[in-house]
Amino acid sequence: MEVIRNFSDQELVDNLKGGKRMDETIKAIYRSHFEGLSWYIMNNSGSQQDAEDVFQEVVVNFIDLVKKDKFRGESTIKTFLFSLNRHTWLNELKRRGRAVAREEKFAKGTYGEQEKDRITPDGHQAIADREGKAAILKLVAALGDTCKKILLLFYYENMSMKEILDATDYDNEQVVRNKKYKCLKQLEQMILEKPSLKDTLKNLLHE
Amino acid sequence: MNNSTPDMNELLVQYLDGEIQGEEKNNLEQQLAADAALQQQYDSLLLTRESIRYYGLQQKVASIHQEMMNEMQIAPVKPISNSRRTLRYALSVAASLLLLVGGYIAYQFFTLSPDKVFSANYQPYELSSTRDINTTETATEKAYRAGNYKEVIRIYSAKEETGVKAAFLSGVSAMQSKDFTSAINNFTAVLDMNKGAAVKTLNDDAEYYLALSYIHTRDYDYALELMDKIKQDPAHTYHSKVTKKMIRQVKMLKWR
Repeated sequence: MEVIRNFSDQELVDNLKGGKRMDETIKAIYRSHFEGLSWYIMNNSGSQQDAEDVFQEVVVNFIDLVKKDKFRGESTIKTFLFSLNRHTWLNELKRRGRAVAREEKFAKGTYGEQEKDRITPDGHQAIADREGKAAILKLVAALGDTCKKILLLFYYENMSMKEILDATDYDNEQVVRNKKYKCLKQLEQMILEKPSLKDTLKNLLHE
Repeated sequence: MNNSTPDMNELLVQYLDGEIQGEEKNNLEQQLAADAALQQQYDSLLLTRESIRYYGLQQKVASIHQEMMNEMQIAPVKPISNSRRTLRYALSVAASLLLLVGGYIAYQFFTLSPDKVFSANYQPYELSSTRDINTTETATEKAYRAGNYKEVIRIYSAKEETGVKAAFLSGVSAMQSKDFTSAINNFTAVLDMNKGAAVKTLNDDAEYYLALSYIHTRDYDYALELMDKIKQDPAHTYHSKVTKKMIRQVKMLKWR
């Protein structure tokens, strides 16, 4: 049976930064914050599905910011997540063409007016350009499975060439290295063919 | 300088991956600082790597997301809008009232008994105290007035006294003695004797007390038949005694 444990804010941040116990840490974020954040969305014209989608996006952006050392503990994780959640949702409502001011009714109750506006500029940037980010995800997803696997193992999981060799059917490290190079260049070419994504990626890189 | 050579491309990727060190690294960094086009090439690789990392993170969270949604489906979050909040409040008030009313009805239903309905509607028959000077008090009347119900029953049973009045007094005396079967027989006899008579004596009384006796013996259909008859006849002596509540209670007793 899985042991469910709670982490302090500091433990969460350390784990996310160091890529340690990621599954357990992400689950802890869901258990601690999903209910509060989805409450906000569902009481501001959102559906259960909206709440789930936005939360997933918020968690991705939060971890991304932590990894880039953009979350420095100036507010609690709860407050920070709430800000990301709120701005993501308000952007989505804007996109849907609703009167945002009219929609936001019950934000005050749980978090209070002061806390909800305490978001760092980096955070604002992080949630901007949702469509651009979605397009990037779609682009990477369009890569062949082998390319995706090698690139993810190397650049996301930080595995060495030798470890990747063990995880694949290639004959030797050089073959893996060559394949990885080709895959990287292929993806680069796909991105270059969509100049509109460049700004999104730049923001992502420097947020 | 042509930066698009395969060698330079590979070198940039090696630099990206942190695989070149020392002098080679320093040289490349100097080149990057001096050559905007080369820097642009390198930036393009950085962006490509960033897209992979972002995709990897998104996939990681997505893989956990569904599992967590399933886990938390046990207590899904419900939205509370203003109108829904009002509705919910109204519903809870309505539910409380319903519970109270339902509880009351249930209480009435389960605590209702034939004894209870009988006692609520039964009053011992009282003989009129004013008498015609030309008539004398009969033995049954005398015994009934004295509360000697056994004697009334004995006199009627022994046929020492017959007739509608004696039968009726025997019936109400039987009721006082808790002998409802005998009471039913006596009242039925009264009704039989009155059938076809030009002037009916104690007929209304007999019907009412017969209905009560039937309630006590749990013959609810007979009781209801009489009660309906009384209720539909505004001229009946006991018309106002047979209330809707009483009929409802007897009907409830039927379903117990």
